[in-house]
Amino acid sequence: MYSSELIKGTLKTIVLKLLSESDKMYGYEITQKVKELTAGKILLTEGALYPTLHAMEAEGILTAEAVNVGNRIRKYYSVTKTGKKIAKEKVNEFEDFMNTMIFLLGLKPKIG
Amino acid sequence: MFVLNDQQVSFILNDIRRNGIELEELQLNLLDHICCVIENEMPPEKSFEEFYRSILPRFFRHELREIQEETDLLLTFKHYYAMKKVMIISGTISATAFVLGSFFKVMHWPGASMLLVLGITIISFVFLPLLFVLKAKEVNATRNKMIVGLGSFFGMIMSLAILFKVMHWPGATIMWLTALGILFFLFLPIYFFTGVRNPDTKVNTMVSSILILVAGAMMFMLINLRPSHSIEYANFSANQHISQVYKYATEQNNQKYLNLISDSSNVKSNSELLKTSSNDLCNKVELIKSQIVAFVTDGNNPESEEELMRDLTGNYDAPTNVLFEKNSDPKAALKELKSAIGDFKILLKESFSKNDTILLNTNDVHKFGDPYDVVISWEKANYYQVPFENVMRNLTQLQLDIRIIEASCLK
Repeated sequence: MYSSELIKGTLKTIVLKLLSESDKMYGYEITQKVKELTAGKILLTEGALYPTLHAMEAEGILTAEAVNVGNRIRKYYSVTKTGKKIAKEKVNEFEDFMNTMIFLLGLKPKIG
Repeated sequence: MFVLNDQQVSFILNDIRRNGIELEELQLNLLDHICCVIENEMPPEKSFEEFYRSILPRFFRHELREIQEETDLLLTFKHYYAMKKVMIISGTISATAFVLGSFFKVMHWPGASMLLVLGITIISFVFLPLLFVLKAKEVNATRNKMIVGLGSFFGMIMSLAILFKVMHWPGATIMWLTALGILFFLFLPIYFFTGVRNPDTKVNTMVSSILILVAGAMMFMLINLRPSHSIEYANFSANQHISQVYKYATEQNNQKYLNLISDSSNVKSNSELLKTSSNDLCNKVELIKSQIVAFVTDGNNPESEEELMRDLTGNYDAPTNVLFEKNSDPKAALKELKSAIGDFKILLKESFSKNDTILLNTNDVHKFGDPYDVVISWEKANYYQVPFENVMRNLTQLQLDIRIIEASCLK
């Protein structure tokens, strides 16, 4: 599992990318999906995830929809139009950042 | 799969609330998340409460309310940037308007007043309040928040006071005194004693306090700056001269009335009418003058005319308070004076065929100053926010006009 410092800087990018690829997701689902896709190497902490979700909702990047599930309410998040644009920008920025880091640290990218 | 019952769900919700999560949306999110974890990941041999206690630390480092704090921080951060942007834009606009406005004012170009009002209004009601909110967030101690608050409040009142003074609007003096009171008796003491206690800021605080004091005193002097003594004297001697001419004209006219007694009865009755009307009108004016003097001296008789003039030169508020309502409409006394002048002119026309347009002119006039294309009433042009010495002179001039016309009727 990677350190929380590494994940913190990319949390927004991960969440936006995941949400823009699916219709709507709720918090627990996002953490599970990331865990599953990265074979448990990236575990999103709830303490960082929810504040970010709320902030992005307030900024208009995400919209939330409350759905009754049994005896509780579940908030499903989906990306707005601006959110989709920002997701693309964030992914591109991160790609550029990664290439720079590879060059900076003299890494040889492994294929496969 | 294990399914939580209502009781367990409300147990979790209450626990979340108790641990400092205030935002309802966040409560619901965490509740659902915890429920999902329990329902999906709880091993069958564990009890609900035991498992709940064991997973809770996943959500925080020290305590659960960290999530609430982090959310608050992110949410305010968003407003923070917007506020900072508005503050900088409003600051730039008001500074530009202010600089342009002062330049226009010096050049006597139209639009100066509008620019000054715009600049000072924005700085007082947008820039300074935002500065206060943003700065207050940066400091922690209540005392420092108070300093920031008082400082901003002082700035607001002071810029408004200067605006009122420059525009000759009523109330500038009281605003200015309030601003100074805040500066000298609240802001400075708190600022000084807070800073001086801390060895790191001691010298800085002392220097800044002295600068604030000196700047405050200089501003006070500047805003209460009187015209030079030569202008004051010119005003005083002009007023005195016109009063003497008025007295002289009155005496001359009285003498003429005495000489008329031997004339025919028709002339006599006409002249009696002229005498009473002229005297009535002059007395009306005299009454207004004494009302203004009584207002500023609280009914005590001034020691001398010279002293009265010296004390009241440049006083815009006293005559305005006596002669005008709060909404700047003229009060009854002034309205009655204007209509009495009208009646007097009718008498002159009908009984003496006098149709003078220069003396006793009460027509509306073009405003002398920015905005230039405005027509204002005779009352406002001569008496509204006009300095004491000029109001008194205008009134005496009116009396003299009456005597001159009266004399011209008494051939």
